[in-house]
Amino acid sequence: MTNTVSEEKKDRTKSLTRKLYKNHVGSKIIRVLVWGAAVISAAILIFLIGYIIIKGVPNLRLSLFEWEYNSENVTMLPAILNTLEMTVLTLLIAVPVGIFSAVYMVEYAKRGSKIVKIVRLTSETLQGIPSIVYGLFGYILFVLTCGWRYSMIAGVCTLAIMVLPLIMRTTEEALLAIPDSYREGSFGLGAGKLRTVFKIVLPSAVPGIFAGIILAIGRIVGETAALIYTSGSGTNFTGNITDSSRTLAVHLYCLYNEGLYMEESYATAFVLLVMVVGINALSSFIAKKITKK
Amino acid sequence: MTNQKLKPEKKKRYISVKETGMKILFLICALASIVAVIVICLFLFAKGFPAIGEIGIFKFIFGTTWKPSAEIFGIFPMIVGSIYVTAGAIIIGVPLALLCAAFLAKFCPPKLYRILKPAINLMAGIPSIVYGFFGLVFIVPLMQTITGGSGKGIITASILLGIMILPTVIGVAESAIRAVPDSYYEGSLALGATHERSVFAVIFPAAKSGIFAGVILGVGRAIGETMAVIMVAGNQEILPESILSGVRTMTANIVIEMAYSEVGSLHQNALIATGVVLFVFILLINISFSLLKRREKS
Amino acid sequence: MKRILVIALSVVLAVSAFAACSNDSTSIYVISREDGSGTRSAFTELLGIVDENENDATVGSAEKVTSTSTVITTVAGNKLAIGYISLGSLSDSVKAVSVDGVAPSVENVKNGTYKIARPFNICYKEDTLSELASDFVKFILSKEGQNVINENGYIMVSENAESYTASGLTGKITLAGSTSVSPVMDKLADAYKTLNANVEIEIQQSGSGAGIESATEGACDIGMSSRELKDTELATLKSVKIADDGIAVIVNKENTVSNLTSEQIKNIYLGKLTDWSEISE
Repeated sequence: MTNTVSEEKKDRTKSLTRKLYKNHVGSKIIRVLVWGAAVISAAILIFLIGYIIIKGVPNLRLSLFEWEYNSENVTMLPAILNTLEMTVLTLLIAVPVGIFSAVYMVEYAKRGSKIVKIVRLTSETLQGIPSIVYGLFGYILFVLTCGWRYSMIAGVCTLAIMVLPLIMRTTEEALLAIPDSYREGSFGLGAGKLRTVFKIVLPSAVPGIFAGIILAIGRIVGETAALIYTSGSGTNFTGNITDSSRTLAVHLYCLYNEGLYMEESYATAFVLLVMVVGINALSSFIAKKITKK
Repeated sequence: MTNQKLKPEKKKRYISVKETGMKILFLICALASIVAVIVICLFLFAKGFPAIGEIGIFKFIFGTTWKPSAEIFGIFPMIVGSIYVTAGAIIIGVPLALLCAAFLAKFCPPKLYRILKPAINLMAGIPSIVYGFFGLVFIVPLMQTITGGSGKGIITASILLGIMILPTVIGVAESAIRAVPDSYYEGSLALGATHERSVFAVIFPAAKSGIFAGVILGVGRAIGETMAVIMVAGNQEILPESILSGVRTMTANIVIEMAYSEVGSLHQNALIATGVVLFVFILLINISFSLLKRREKS
Repeated sequence: MKRILVIALSVVLAVSAFAACSNDSTSIYVISREDGSGTRSAFTELLGIVDENENDATVGSAEKVTSTSTVITTVAGNKLAIGYISLGSLSDSVKAVSVDGVAPSVENVKNGTYKIARPFNICYKEDTLSELASDFVKFILSKEGQNVINENGYIMVSENAESYTASGLTGKITLAGSTSVSPVMDKLADAYKTLNANVEIEIQQSGSGAGIESATEGACDIGMSSRELKDTELATLKSVKIADDGIAVIVNKENTVSNLTSEQIKNIYLGKLTDWSEISE
């Protein structure tokens, strides 16, 4: 029944278990419950996605993808581009810092060091802090104190801080899961610490790190509360990091808020969903490529 | 001879420079993230503690009236609200998620798995505002017809949050179940246990710590969720009378009033202080979790 | 195993408990905006939903909703609900009731018979306002600007404003603030840009409080507010009213009530009137 046992074994266990079901009612109930849970979850998912598709697709119009925003077409194209820019820039900051600090904490810091423990605890805790608090923090620090006004860069910095613990934790987890024998083997062959980290430890941790990055992307793309006060709701795509620019989720929030553009918000929700699917597929594709190498 | 001897030494020196250089870089990165974490904490505390001091800690945490316009700040209803809604989400979401994780790891045909797994990952990427709207349009009317009330309240918020924590809990629990060596399962089968019994009586206890980690993550997600909750919870800032009445969670309290509060006023600092209380809550959960883990190990 | 059975059992129990609760009540389900919302403070002030200290006294059991569209969706889905929204956002999915026999419409607000309205304000630092930004303010208050406001279902502040001539200035203006003012400001910005092609206008929907704060701190040129500015805020900022916005009281379409007196609305929101059956046509 597990994926690893051979076909022959499978058949044997199947006939064996079939015999056992007859006299074990509890197992039958559990079997029903497990399948039931799976069906319920799948049903919820299908319902949710189906709802977004049914409401969203009929409202898709070409004018929703025009280049210049105005109050007539409420185009989402600039928002889509902004989302991509925001995601890339945030990851550019958060991923190296997150991975490097995880490397430091696992490979370099003394085991059981107090500081490492405290950081681990606080960073876990920060994940549960509502994003509005991050937004307010970013607003006071970046928008007001640093004088960046509402800008892409203020949003990027806020989001980078927000997803940093996430990437740090998943990378750390992935690094800790690597058996020490890998490192010892590498050292034994005469490789230095750095070489061991980059050639042996990090490559084997790639799947774990990517799982963290995908989670981070999900958060960035879906974030609204933290961005309203930092990158703001500027409607055009300029590519300039000092300009205010709304991401697709903020765009959806703005359209939805006053109830004036309901049809357009459904369409936007649908595009947002497609985008999440696309980004997920792309990153798992990249993860596969890297691990193969 | 001498030339050949020198070369590796030079190389060695170069390597050692690179080694220390990179070590310093790692250290700087680690410090940067530590600083980021500390600065956020400081920000929360610097704004929150004076406000708590001004209001009075007892009045703030156990006060049952929240009326910012009259300068009365008591967040007890919100604390209760957060606890109820999170507990509800756990009661609804966790059993479903664990059964689902068991299904994915041990019951699911590989073909179905290839569709189901990415689909569940997709659930994690749907923005919460979409969940909230879904709850508003589907779950709320459904609860209205079942209960005859307004349809918004603890139970609706719990259901929605239960759905929202599914992908998180399923993901972590599934990998924990998969991490249990096959020999456990095979041994159990050999002793005559059924497939189901082997999974739930042998593999589950062995994967307990990982499953628990998933549940804790789910709790964190549920207690910190905002945008979806404010659409379906009703947001009344009074103590709930039953599981059908509306509640306001701590996160909702922050989001709802932050936009209008005057910057630097006591009202805004009281809202940040709500964030501090929330922070302490999550900290407590995490600490008790790590204590639990430690006891298990020893 | 046992645990799962227990859980299943408790679920069954919970469901049956709900089934028992269900009834055909006609009690009013009150929906209010959040404390501090511009719509809410105008609404409570105008109808006198206040206690003896002039503080907002909206009944605690009222549902608090954070956006106009959530109010509309909730009222559209709940037969017993009552809520209030900006007149400009009114849609077909809900029914707006007359107040004291006067239907909520732009005309009735303008001629003063429909009483529940609130101001849309903009605020800025008078001495540091850029030439371009003050030209935009001039445009908003001009005949052309006020026409845009009128066309979108809001009430203009001056009937006979002077007409505006394009200045040919270039540059960028940033506005921030109320989500209620933003849609009409969007329209105004579009109209201004057709007259002055080389101008960029950025609108931040961050809420009245944040907008006023941004204007004070210089994070934006002009703040937008759907509430009156407080005295402390007026110390640094100049506030200008650009439009009025009627507030419509809405109920579910299936609700037979189509007229409420302002006294009735007040009592509903004070929690003194709790059942639709007490309201006689």
